[in-house]
Amino acid sequence: MATTISNTDSRTIRNVRVKANFERTAFMFMRSSGIILVILAVGHVMLQLIFNNVHYLSVEFVAEQWSSWGWKVYDMALLVFALTHGINGFRNVLEDYIHNRGAMKVINILLVIFLVVSIVWAGYAIASADPAAMDAAALGQ
Amino acid sequence: MGTLITTVTESIRYRGRSGQYTWLAHRLAGLGILAFLVIHVWDTANASFAPNVYAWTIEVFKTPFFGLGEIAVFGAVLFHSFNGLRITLLDYKPTWWHQQKRSVTIVWVLFLIVFVPLGLYLLLGIVDSCQHPPVWEWAGQTATGASCFSFPPTSLYGIGS
Repeated sequence: MATTISNTDSRTIRNVRVKANFERTAFMFMRSSGIILVILAVGHVMLQLIFNNVHYLSVEFVAEQWSSWGWKVYDMALLVFALTHGINGFRNVLEDYIHNRGAMKVINILLVIFLVVSIVWAGYAIASADPAAMDAAALGQ
Repeated sequence: MGTLITTVTESIRYRGRSGQYTWLAHRLAGLGILAFLVIHVWDTANASFAPNVYAWTIEVFKTPFFGLGEIAVFGAVLFHSFNGLRITLLDYKPTWWHQQKRSVTIVWVLFLIVFVPLGLYLLLGIVDSCQHPPVWEWAGQTATGASCFSFPPTSLYGIGS
């Protein structure tokens, strides 16, 4: 742990270099994914709620979006970053209130399983989406 | 249960002023977004795996109570984003910590400037959807609802038949 101390007017600033560990990586991930999500998630809600009227949302609309690889990649990136950021945030909240280490370990394992299953399930849904089949189902063909 | 009640009451009673309330709002917004996100992700996967189930659920989500929830989630995303940027910036620039009270005010003002007009616009969309009874269409069949609060019949979408 390398420490440098500098004085700026009346305040003392300590710059501490912390060795890489899981909590530090998670802390940095929350900040970096947060910045990415400001673009991806705010972009998504502005696009779907404000620029596209929600009342027009339909299977055909989703089929049209998922016929483009650009939107597929956008949705998959949003899926991975938002869920990972959200589940880790949930873990941070739980760790503030649950002090039983054993219980927390079980919860963490369950959260990781839920995260992986959700990403694989929804990621596969996006990757394998067949817009023609979705349109055919909507039209009853 | 006792711990939960203490946590809730002390979070409100603790006089940390704007910084404390912003911390609490960030947490609640995050938890709210996550609850919505999990439902949204599993529901949207159905658009690909079971289009008829997806079509029915989105018609349910277009009813006014879900619409109000949607406005709340929209506000939560905006607030969590603005405040998250503030947290990231202050973590990166500890020399700015003496401005923390002002930074909180800026976040709330920016949030209200963006959220109030857009939230009202979404609210008008809900009012507008209640002007005419809903007409649902699936696979060449149609059904009509009594009011904007009505849920579409599952039979129209071939669910449970």
